[in-house]
Amino acid sequence: MTTTRRSFVQGSLAAGALTAAPARLRAQTTPPVSRTIRAVLHGDLRVFDPVWTTANMTSYHAAMVYDTLFGVDDKFEPKPQMVSKYSLSDDRKSYSFELRDGLRFTDGTPVTARDCVASIRRWGARDGGGQHMMARLADTPVKDDKSFQLVMKEPYSLAVEWLAKAATNACYIMREKEAQTDPMQQIQTIIGSGPFVMNQDAVVQGQRYVYDKNPNYVPRSEPAVFTSGGKVVNVDRVVYENIADEATAIAAIRAGEIDMIEYPNVDLLSSLEGEKEIKLEVLNKQGQLGWARVNWLHPPFNNVKARQAMLYLIHPTEVMKATFGDEKYFKGCSSLFGMGTPMENDANIDWFKGGQNIEKARQLVKESGYDGRPVVVLHATNIAYMNNAANLIAQWMRQAGFNVSLQASDWGAVITRRAVKSPPDQGGWNVFFTSGSVNAFGNPVALSGHAANGEKGWFGWPTDEKHEAFRDKWAAASNDAERRQIARDMQQNAWDFVPHMYYGQWFQPAALRNLTGLIGMPELIPFWNVRKG
Amino acid sequence: MLSYIAQRLAQTLLVMTLVGIFVFLLLHFSAGDPAAIIAGDYATPQQIVAIRQRLGLDDPLLVQFWRWAARVLSGDLGVSIFSNTPVSRLILQRLEPTLSLALLTMLFAVGIAVSLGVIAAWRVGSLVDRALMGFSVLGFSMPAFVVGYGLIYIFAIELRWLPVQGYKPLADGLGPWLLHLILPTVTLGLAYIALIARMTRASMLEVLEEDYIRTAKAKGVTTKTMLMKHALKNAGVPIITVIGIGVALLIGGVVITETVFNIPGIGRLVVDAISKRDYPIIQGVILLFSGIYVLVNLLVDLSYSLIDPRIRY
Repeated sequence: MTTTRRSFVQGSLAAGALTAAPARLRAQTTPPVSRTIRAVLHGDLRVFDPVWTTANMTSYHAAMVYDTLFGVDDKFEPKPQMVSKYSLSDDRKSYSFELRDGLRFTDGTPVTARDCVASIRRWGARDGGGQHMMARLADTPVKDDKSFQLVMKEPYSLAVEWLAKAATNACYIMREKEAQTDPMQQIQTIIGSGPFVMNQDAVVQGQRYVYDKNPNYVPRSEPAVFTSGGKVVNVDRVVYENIADEATAIAAIRAGEIDMIEYPNVDLLSSLEGEKEIKLEVLNKQGQLGWARVNWLHPPFNNVKARQAMLYLIHPTEVMKATFGDEKYFKGCSSLFGMGTPMENDANIDWFKGGQNIEKARQLVKESGYDGRPVVVLHATNIAYMNNAANLIAQWMRQAGFNVSLQASDWGAVITRRAVKSPPDQGGWNVFFTSGSVNAFGNPVALSGHAANGEKGWFGWPTDEKHEAFRDKWAAASNDAERRQIARDMQQNAWDFVPHMYYGQWFQPAALRNLTGLIGMPELIPFWNVRKG
Repeated sequence: MLSYIAQRLAQTLLVMTLVGIFVFLLLHFSAGDPAAIIAGDYATPQQIVAIRQRLGLDDPLLVQFWRWAARVLSGDLGVSIFSNTPVSRLILQRLEPTLSLALLTMLFAVGIAVSLGVIAAWRVGSLVDRALMGFSVLGFSMPAFVVGYGLIYIFAIELRWLPVQGYKPLADGLGPWLLHLILPTVTLGLAYIALIARMTRASMLEVLEEDYIRTAKAKGVTTKTMLMKHALKNAGVPIITVIGIGVALLIGGVVITETVFNIPGIGRLVVDAISKRDYPIIQGVILLFSGIYVLVNLLVDLSYSLIDPRIRY
């Protein structure tokens, strides 16, 4: 048989038609682009269990597929979400909760009080706030399918606040079956009762995560505010696209291939100017806080004078300018609890008001008795703001008299090394830089980095008994006014012993293409309430 | 011939074993702890230690190696530390985009490069020759990410002819599949074209000096027949060799090209795995890549006897 040009063309067309056929079949189940939001978020979704990790991407995922007993409004006040009504006894020792009607998991089973208790117990084993509550919990009696209690050993006012918090780890409600998984093991099945269902057949791990509207979800009737109110879904599908290359993501939103970039590269923002359909909007109005952790276990930062020197030598504006350029996207931070949080205050901030003072820092370094040994600064080069912070602060440290050894690596290596407690010349470290959501800094108990309980605490291992007493007192306070006063006292003390330093607070805008109704809040990108077009 | 193939396959296994050991040691001696990455930024050291124990990362290196090697020998590449998904499934999920990109690039690059090399050799010293060789130097010197961004800007953003990023499976239709692969193929193919074109030109120039070419010309053979039948076939062995060696270039290029064009292939898989220290994925993919490379070069060796009957194994 001879292959002619005509038979080749006929064969090719037939093959093309055959390969195209499944696409037509699939089109029946794939929502149109106008009903699909394609979002590039800040990272890859690596773990699906919101109890097992504190990674924010996992929390984003969890907010799609699970619901919470309480949400928060824009004043961070808890509001019932899955709960219809609740009460706290007069002696502040017994909470009673009742679930609202219509709550169902995506497998069709109703959400029961037993699911809630099991979920609270698993979450409480891992989360900072949860652990604080569980240490004071006596019992969790289940009255019926819709009602349960938290009975405390002592008067306690924070339970609802912990259950409502949006910061990781948030208390998402799973089926009892999954919630009984060892908290140190990942759950294997993703079944929630949230506004979306994860379409696991369409997921390409590391690349694309697909969420379809949950047709059985019954939203509350109140308007959506942060994580409270009605989680009304206005699209059919949300896709998290993991585009690792920032320039490609920018090009994709310009070409209309994606609808949102959570954190577009600041250097490339100018290329979005003039694009009529794209707007830049700061979603997290509280922003992110950059902090420097110093190692309390070894010289020179086991001496308070050396730590105070660090307060004086950091120039937040310069660090922020190097990364974010435009001053509308950043500011300095003088409060231990971040700027713009309910606990923000101005106690003991003379070091900040005076601005950078290298001379004073040099004097404090001398007073600390620093002997000139190398100070190991961990330098994550693959994250722009950390890279700039390390380069600039290391230089100011040198000017203040520290013999700095700037040790470059990627962030993955930094987070391994920061756990090493050995002396810096034996694989340990003296300074590393990281960041966190300002919202998390606003809570002195929930954020593990606020602890000053020595080697049991977070990396850097600061120790201060007075600080720990303040934290306990804050947790036991019965109202916000009392908490604010304790927070003030805590900061007064903290900027004397200096647990850590801040190098700036920033508000990175998101790029949105034809999206309206997106709720801007810390810790989360909620995809309910959003409309496309 | 058969004993040669058996011998080469045995060598392949040896090479892959050495690669396996080397990669395992390299990964475990390099800085980075998957447990710390999994735990998240606010996790306490105690939580990280607990995850390390769960994952068996605290076991002696030899125990970890043996565990991995025993699995690999039984055909199991292990499970991703992060997603709990079998590595073989992750690789299979990513195989189509990478194979599509690599094969299309190879077809595109070899077709163009050999033609350019033959023309340059035929018109040696002319403006055409200089232009073609200048182009090949440029193609070889320009990093894939620069070429990629340039092409995206022109063809996807300004002209809107082609998509910026992503991949459509062949099952979605030939058109969308091809449309999404044009820019990545050109990006990845440039360096490959440059390499093969230069080798083709050099090899052809050598052959064109041979007596039998002069004889063919004297007999009045047409230029086309002389170039394609007499010269190119005899110049084939070095060209095929460089195509085989270039597979390594292609594998390296795939990693960058897939990242620039957001193609969910094996290159992206391994880059992501490296950033989060997902050891089983990195080990599995490198074993696969090294296996492919060794096997391609085995095929290249075997093809010599087809091109040149004097070569026997």
